[in-house]
Parts: sequence; C-alpha cells; structure tokens
Amino acid sequence: MPDAPLTCLDFWCQAGSSSERPGEEGIAHFLEHMVFKGSGRLAAGAFDLAIEALGGSSNAATGFDDVHFHVLIPPDRAAEALDLLLELVLQPALEPQGFATERDVVLEEIAQYADQPTEQVLQSILSLGCGDHAYGRPILGTASALNAMDPSLMRRFHNRRYFGPNCTLALAGPAPETLKPAIAASALADLPGDRTNSSSHHPLRFHAGRHTQQIDRLESARILMLWLTAPAHNQEAVMGADLATTLLGEGRRSRLVERLREELQLVESISMDLTALEQGSLITLEVICPEDALPAVEQEISAVLHQAANEAVSEQELRRGCQLVSNSLRYAMESVGHVSGLCASHVLWHRNQDLLNPLSHLSHWSADRLQSDLFPELLPEKACVLIARPGANQ
Amino acid sequence: MSAALDVLVEPLASPGVMAAKLWLPFGSACDATDQRGAHDLLASLLSRGCGPYNPKELADVVEGCGAGLRCDAQEDGLLLSLRSTMDDAEQLLPLLGWMVLEPHLAPDQVALEKSLTLQMLQRQREDPFHIAAVAWRQLAFSDGGYGHDPMGVESDLQTIDRQQILPLAQRLPTGRSVLSLAGCLPEHIENRILAMDGFRGWPETTGGSSACRPKYGTSAAETIRLEPMDTEQVVLMLGQATVPHGHPDDLVLRLLQCHLGVGMSSLLFRRLREEHGVAYEVAVHYPQLMGPAPFVLLASTGIERAELSLRLLLQSWEELCQTTLSQADLTLARAKFIGQMAQARQTCSQRAERRAQLRAMGLRDDYDQSCMDAIKAITVEHIQETCQRWFKQPQLSLCGPPSSLKRLERIWAERHQ
Repeated sequence: MPDAPLTCLDFWCQAGSSSERPGEEGIAHFLEHMVFKGSGRLAAGAFDLAIEALGGSSNAATGFDDVHFHVLIPPDRAAEALDLLLELVLQPALEPQGFATERDVVLEEIAQYADQPTEQVLQSILSLGCGDHAYGRPILGTASALNAMDPSLMRRFHNRRYFGPNCTLALAGPAPETLKPAIAASALADLPGDRTNSSSHHPLRFHAGRHTQQIDRLESARILMLWLTAPAHNQEAVMGADLATTLLGEGRRSRLVERLREELQLVESISMDLTALEQGSLITLEVICPEDALPAVEQEISAVLHQAANEAVSEQELRRGCQLVSNSLRYAMESVGHVSGLCASHVLWHRNQDLLNPLSHLSHWSADRLQSDLFPELLPEKACVLIARPGANQ
Repeated sequence: MSAALDVLVEPLASPGVMAAKLWLPFGSACDATDQRGAHDLLASLLSRGCGPYNPKELADVVEGCGAGLRCDAQEDGLLLSLRSTMDDAEQLLPLLGWMVLEPHLAPDQVALEKSLTLQMLQRQREDPFHIAAVAWRQLAFSDGGYGHDPMGVESDLQTIDRQQILPLAQRLPTGRSVLSLAGCLPEHIENRILAMDGFRGWPETTGGSSACRPKYGTSAAETIRLEPMDTEQVVLMLGQATVPHGHPDDLVLRLLQCHLGVGMSSLLFRRLREEHGVAYEVAVHYPQLMGPAPFVLLASTGIERAELSLRLLLQSWEELCQTTLSQADLTLARAKFIGQMAQARQTCSQRAERRAQLRAMGLRDDYDQSCMDAIKAITVEHIQETCQRWFKQPQLSLCGPPSSLKRLERIWAERHQ
C-alpha cells in the first residue's frame, strides 16, 4: 500500500469475554482499559503521550473471542511504537488506585449503553438466544461483578491468557527496513510459550423461541431474530451465510428490504448482519417499525424466509449478492487498520491465508445449494425471536 | 463559457476501487424556516429514480455492481457519494449526473421517504446525545439555518410535500458544484465526464452564482437548555458558535480541539477520565463548516457525578481565556494536528471528499499543506487571544433526569452571578 502515509501495528490476543471464568465477567474488557493505565516502565498516560506526540493514535477493542490493541503511526516511528505497545500490553501495572478510577470509567460506559434502548434490545436477544454462554453475556460485564474485582484477579486473567500461542502481531502499511529486526528483538520473542491452555469452553447451546418484552424509552418497536450458524473456522459455510444474509437483507433489491420497506412500506428499516465467531457465528435480523405494524411485519418476514427456502434464487440475484460480498471486502482493504485487523485475526485463529482468499468460497455456493443447505436454517422457527414494544420495563 | 461543474481527479493506488463525491451548494442551512428537513428529503429522493432508471432499476444497477450510492444533506450542501470498482466506474458515474439533472421525484417515492424520515426522527428521541445536540443547536442558532438537525423537524416535515421539493430540485444544477474522483480511475476520465450521458446538459456558468445565502442563525436569549429524560447518565454539551472553516482563527481553534479532545493525552480525557473517572465519553465537537461552526465540549456522566463533571468542563473552558497553554501542550497539539491530517487521508472516499470540500469552500487545493506550515507560527499568546475572542459566552445544553438537571442548572446560575 505505497500511498498509505501511516503504518498500523495491531496486537491481537485470544482473550475476549469468552475466556472469562465465573466471577470474571467483564474482566477482559476492563483489562483492555487497564492496559492504558501504565506498565512497569511506563507511567499512566505516558504511552498515549508518547504515541500522540509522534503524530500517532491508539485504540483497543474487546470482543467475545479476542481483544486487540492498535497503533497508527508514521512509518519511521513504528519501531519505537512497537516497543511501547508491547511493554504496555504484556506488562500492565494494574496499580490499585488506577484500578479503582478506571472501574468508575467502565461503570460509566455501562451506564451509557444502558441509556441506548437499541443496545438494550440487542443484548436481550443475545441473552435469550445464547443463555449463559459468554456470547449471551454483555462484554462490558455488570456493575456488581466489576465492583467485586481486584487487581490480583485481573493479574491472574492476564497471566492465563496473554502468552505466546494466544497472541498475534500484524502490521499494515509502509514497513521500514529497521522494523523487522525490531520485531525479532521485541518482547514478543520473550513471550512464554504454550501453557496448559485450560480454557474449557462450555458449548454454546442455542435457544430458539419467541419472546416479547416492553422496553422503556423505545420510540418505535423492534423485531430481532437471532440464528446460530457455522463457527468462523468453517470458512466456506461462513461465506455462504454472508451471501445468504446479503441476498435477504442488504440493499433495496434484497428480498426483505424490497418486500417490507419498499413495497409494503411496513418498516423504517430492516437489515441482516453476520458476526463470524469462533464458537459459532451469529446471524441477526433487526427490524424497526411502528408498534401497530408488528403482526403484519412478522408474518411477511416469515413469508420471505420460507420462500427463500422453497425456491432457488435467480442467477441474477446470486450474481448481485456475490458482487456485494466481494466488493465490501475490497473496500475494507483501503484502510491499514482493516488490513492489519484481518491479517491478525486470520493468523490468530490459524487461518493464515491471502486476504481475498475467503472470496474463493463464494463460487461453491450455487442457488440450489443455498436453497437446500442454508435458507432452511434461516427460518423463523429456528430463530430466537424478540418482539420489543415501547413501554415501561416489565 | 464552461460548465458550472468543477471536475477534480486524484489517481491513487487502491485495491481496484474508486470514490466519487459530487458536492452541490444547497444544504439544510438553506431550508426555509417552516420547511426544516426539505433538503434532506430531497437528498434521499435523488437515488429513488433518475434519468432512464426507475427506483428499482437504479437499485439494480448499483447493487448489481456491488457499489454504494448515497446522497446526504449536510448543513452547507448536498453530498452525493459513489463507491465502486474501477471497472464499473464508467457505467455508474452517469448516475451522479442524472440524479442532479433528471431526478424523478415520483409522488409515491416522496411519500415513502417522508414517512421513513418521520419515523427516523421519532426514533432519534431515544438517544440522549441526539437530544442534547439538537437543544444546543437551538441555543446557538435559534431558528437560523444551523439551528436544526439536517434531517429536519417533525412538525415541518409533516407539511412538506412534492410541491415544495420541486423548486429545490430545479435549482440544484445551478450552483457552483464540484465533482471529485479519487482512486483507480479510468484513463482521462476527467475529459469525458461532461460528455457522458447523465452530465450532458449541465448548465454553464452564468457569472452570478445562484447559491443560496443562508442566515446561519444568532444565539438565543437564554444560555442553558434542559431536556428531561429518564436516563442513567446526563449528557452535557458546553460551547459556543465560532468561525467558518478557513477563517484566520480557525487553525488556532483546530489546535485547541486537538489539545482538549483528541486522543488519550487530551485535556478532557485526562481530567474527566483518568483523574476523576467521571465519564466514559468525552469529546470536542468542531465541524468544518462554511458558517460559524460550533465549538462544543461534550461529556456524558452518571447522575451522582454530573455536578463534578460540569464543574470540570467549566473549569476547562474558563482556563482557556485565563491562562496560556504550556509550550509542551502546544507542541503536542501540533503533533496531533498533523497526525489527524494523515488519518483523514486514508481512503479514496476521504481524499475525494476533502478535495471537493476545499473547492466548495473556496479554499486552495494545497490548503491542508499550508496549514501544516502555518501551525508552526502559532504561539500560546495567539491561542489565548483567540479564546478571549470566541469563548466569552458559552451555552450549555443538558439531557438527563429532571432532578439532576435542576442541580446542574444551579451550578450554571451561580457561575453567572
């Protein structure tokens, strides 16, 4: 990417919320915050100051499966930034005063989410569908769990998860010659190797069913549907699911948007989304509509989904779906942050491959195969369904 | 005579993709006072049928190429955005022309978009940040052009129909428009654009520009707005309307934005998050506008810590006029400014939009480059003088539980005694 003026360093670790044990709920994300509160060598704030003084920026995000920390930096300063980033992530100070203050910040983050009804509805359906599995729990944790935590618990979590085989560093953008030796000599090389990896995930048992809730401060009604599909390592199936959700819910000519929003004008918006996850990917369907339209909307969604399972999509539709899926990956290649993130997650989860390679699976999905293998799995009967109505919380 | 359309191209190495941005100088600031939302409604209609395509056919062409096409109303103009692969560019670029010269504006599509927008406006009331932002706009700009969200106001939108939209659509091609392309581009595309179907017939320059000249608005008599809502947090927005992008004081305010709100080393982040743990979200909102842009500090905070948060925001604001920044703070702000500039030039879309924006605002193509030099000459004294010029009469909007708002209102009142 010769034109990119910035280099992205991206450190990934298999330490998302699904690696938390009972009593640790929310600690993966809380640790992500604490990492920026300093290390043995760096005082709180020293990292941010150093990176930003170089004209760079940093951020981090915690997911169900993994957590990542990334730095965008002018290429000639990448080696310095790498050194600082690894120090911070691998040697967090977890100092008690900073721990207490940062817990308050996380509690504010939880409160901010609680004030967004859309987020509440989404969390509700994950809890209903995934039960007590980590995918059903809020990544941010709960106030009571966070209040019960201390730095030693976090230290144990860090020791348990942040070691060699669990970590990947990716780099995108211009890479000066000096960077390779810097990586070889970095703290990465000293990372302890395999420990007995005791993360015994309890299997994701999915709960199909239909639920109704009233949610305070909701201004329009929502219908959410959730399906469990193939785990991320089954890439062919995941690409199929991506194609199926695109055909159903992306763009004005997709089946659901065309029928419910454009023709019948029943909904404000309807969209489908696929989240590729290691223990089973999740497909969500989100509808925003007036409350009085709920029965008609539910009925029409069912009709569209059954139709997809009953007759194959046209070749033209299939081509359109493949174009949309392929191009959205190509557009993502434009930013160094996306490129480094994709690389890192492929390597982290042992799917080392060319970045556009997932597209090669698309050709294995004919209209007939979609109809026989995939659409029957996306019927309302197989989903966890949540009807959320405006009104006082029940 | 030449067409009143500036065409800018920037070939860039990209993964085979390109972005096109077409800027038209008619934005939500040009909404009539009783038709707030008209330009946004017009924007949403342009992609619902134009030239030879009905709405379905248009969606087919765009989505069939896996492309993206949208049109948004911003305060200062409409922005049409196309994103596609290089191979599809020739087929898709004419759409941008047709959307401006021959939009269908079919009655059924007007009714559909109007209904969708009304539903969206209602749903936005779920978001305390949005409510606080709308309230702040009203404080700073009253019923002027910047006084409402581009999406509009429910009561006005109810009364808008096709008859009001038609004249707005007819004048769209008559302003000084800019088409900016970036990425992997077909060869010599800049020479062929105006001859393409869709762009043929673009009107010629007439000398006198027919752009709308909006009244941006003047500040309301009161200095505080309270928006009661049964939430866990209070959203606080403190700030003042300042200067247009490119104004001599603008660069100083951009440096201040970096100092106060950019990154984890920023003053608000350190003070509210690191030292006191009273907020998760802190930011400085300072959009690049052709009129007096808001310079607003923002925080959201739990009710029991809201008073402390407000005091910290006020302290941060008042310090700006009373004391000078340290040299170290200024050096850091300059570094962040340069970093921000680099980050804003990552994708074809970002590059194309920035070039269109500079041209539309009458700023030189090398404006950003010249800013990188100009910030070196800015001193801490210069910054303080600028603050004293623009930060004397801040206004505050709050959204949160009523009891909490009462207490915060008292703190605000004490400050004025």
